[in-house]
Amino acid sequence: MISFELGEELQLIQETARRFAAERLFPRIRESERDRGFPAAIEAEAHELGLGTIALPESAGGGGLGLLAAVVADEQIAWGDAGACFGLAGPGALGPFVLELGSDEQKREVLSRFTSAEGAKRRGAVAWTEARPAEREGFATTAKRDGDGWVITGAKHSVVDGGRADRYVVFAQVDADAGWRGIGAFVVPGDAKGVSGGERKKLLGLDAAYVADVRFDEVRVPATARLEGGSDFPTALTRAFARHALRIASRAVGVASRAWELTHAYAHDRKAFGKPIGHFQAVAFTVADRLMDVESARWMIWRAAADWDRKGEPRLADVAGAAAHALEMAIRCADDGVQLHGGAGFMRDFPIEKLLRDARQIALMTASTSTLDGLAADVELGRAIDPASILPTPDIQPVIL
Amino acid sequence: MTIEFKPTSMQKMIQEAAHGIARDVIRPLSLQMDREHRVPDDLLMKLQMLMSGMGGGGAVMPDEREKNTDPETKKKESQTNRTAILGAEEMAWGDGSVLISLPGPGLGGPPVRSHGTPEQKKRFFGIFEDTSRLKWGAYGLTEPGAGSDVSGIRTSCRRDGDSWILNGTKCYITNGARAEWVVIFATIDPTLGRAGHRAFVVERGTPGFSVGKIEDKLGLRASETAELVLEDCRVPADNLLGGEDRYSAAADKAGFMAAMKTFDSTRPMVGAMAIGIGRAAYEHARDYVKEAYVLSRPIPRYRAIAEKLARVKRRLDGARLLCWRAAWMADLGLPNSKEASMAKAAAGQAAVQACIDAIELVGADATLEDGEHALLCKWFRDIKVFDIFEGTGQIQRVVISKRLFEGLRHF
Repeated sequence: MISFELGEELQLIQETARRFAAERLFPRIRESERDRGFPAAIEAEAHELGLGTIALPESAGGGGLGLLAAVVADEQIAWGDAGACFGLAGPGALGPFVLELGSDEQKREVLSRFTSAEGAKRRGAVAWTEARPAEREGFATTAKRDGDGWVITGAKHSVVDGGRADRYVVFAQVDADAGWRGIGAFVVPGDAKGVSGGERKKLLGLDAAYVADVRFDEVRVPATARLEGGSDFPTALTRAFARHALRIASRAVGVASRAWELTHAYAHDRKAFGKPIGHFQAVAFTVADRLMDVESARWMIWRAAADWDRKGEPRLADVAGAAAHALEMAIRCADDGVQLHGGAGFMRDFPIEKLLRDARQIALMTASTSTLDGLAADVELGRAIDPASILPTPDIQPVIL
Repeated sequence: MTIEFKPTSMQKMIQEAAHGIARDVIRPLSLQMDREHRVPDDLLMKLQMLMSGMGGGGAVMPDEREKNTDPETKKKESQTNRTAILGAEEMAWGDGSVLISLPGPGLGGPPVRSHGTPEQKKRFFGIFEDTSRLKWGAYGLTEPGAGSDVSGIRTSCRRDGDSWILNGTKCYITNGARAEWVVIFATIDPTLGRAGHRAFVVERGTPGFSVGKIEDKLGLRASETAELVLEDCRVPADNLLGGEDRYSAAADKAGFMAAMKTFDSTRPMVGAMAIGIGRAAYEHARDYVKEAYVLSRPIPRYRAIAEKLARVKRRLDGARLLCWRAAWMADLGLPNSKEASMAKAAAGQAAVQACIDAIELVGADATLEDGEHALLCKWFRDIKVFDIFEGTGQIQRVVISKRLFEGLRHF
């Protein structure tokens, strides 16, 4: 049955996340921006609430809920402070990748590190992007067989929590001649010998996110560290990116809805020519259009997530379409938000300028709109899904995971 | 009850049946109907029969729905609006004109249902029980000098004994020439604005009531659009919609409200129809790209084409969900003016863009009226009015704005 009511369980999750966002995150967004992070008390509280591990399996101590629950929570947290989605401790991007690529045993072992009490301070990371394309197709980072295990060597570019993660999923070239089909994924402990982080980078937006390069110098991992992705690694990898994209896109909806609310309120308060500017159609119509954007994106994401939960299988075109729509419209919402604030929108006295930076930034924290549109079109046109053309590889468009 | 985006199995069945009819019966006749400016009577008869066989006209006729006004009684929750828009999208996918040419009270249904007295409902809906002959109702609001600005209507009405005398011209009236009756909006005094509005059910054959010209249009040519002329037209007092009491309070805007009420229930439907046409255009372009172009030779433009296609699809998908949401609210009896307008505005815009882009993707061949892409060419002509009738895109945004900026009245 078609129904737009969340239902009790999801509504509870939404309200819990919203309260945390409204009371603990939004009031201090300028502090989290300035401090580029969060105090331990807030990280502990977030961990206690378990919103970041809601979709992890129960066997790993997670909430055992589906992707829909995760995106519902994500949106609310981002509505409070999108930086928190990346800056707070938790599995981060590693979650979706281990979920889709790991065996049951690997999921339990790796993910439970983030649900346990010590998890309040642990961060997961995905080392994917490299500074420039390799000389031939594929990653420059390599994983070479070494007896029973693997030796990983290479430099990864702009990794969220790079240099301070408890666990990394590292992507490396396993078969030098197989291009993007020859890559593998490995779980690497942050304290393994040979892992070193670079200097923290300053970002356009999402200031609370910790982003740095990471080097892997002959890092040895056992055979069990390899994430095989079941029988079909490229397909599992596409799913991992799809799952990740949907999570990031729901955060974009959070940013957009906050930007919309601020702009809507501002248009009520601000007077020009003797009237609130919301009186003027050029302003009111823009506000109306952006509301259509926010709501349609939210329904698309929820629909794609609900669908995935129900079937256990994503409809890739819908997932990619929903994510592309959300990432694109979030920038529109924030940009129009600044525009309708006029000169005030440019000033840091108002939070809207931060939302424009966050919206632009967040749309490159996963496969971009154009990459996602390419994936959706490939599915619709019945073309074989070629990871070389639909994954956000460094030679197509660098992203920050 | 939890959030879900899946039609019920019953709705799925109706959706599939409607799609089958659209594909096998309607679309093969689409170009011919467009050229002849009419939907053949035997097709309408056949569809009327099929609809009643499918559990009433509920699937496609906006007038057959009933609102459940108690959102607490989930068991009685109506599915009618949701079922209707699912069916409407499929039918419009087949041909946009057919759905709005279907016999029945049409747009005249909602005001009679919401504002009519029990006797009036019996009288004016009763005639549709006999399905041996095709019968239509219609809705006469627009005038040459008053479109979006409904308060500007000049058609006058004055009481004269047991009757009312109406004078004026109504235009762009769907099924207006063949309607058994038309809900006509008039004013007792233009200076009173909306409070002066009165709604009448004017029956065919009423002295002084005549059909003017039948319009020739950009698209939806198979649908009849007529001008109606009222010259000292004498309408019995019994035909004043809702009866005299309804308008007794000086400031009552019952007439205007009756006019507007129609739209809350029909806008999501019109939105869904737009999506149906936009989807048809999208699928046509997609299949063309797939079969004739992309797979046969490597082209450097592939990436740009793929992205354009994907963008068209996701905009339609997003707008469709806004339509579903507005219909869901209507089923629950929740006020949905804002959401209905959001649905209509987003759907109209997405579908117009879909048709523009589909032609771009196929290229100049798609502009040949008799070529192999003639349907796409026709959809491009048909779709434009979906961002115009039942309130232009701009008026939808006025409706939304009024609710977003409550108290700031002057839009």
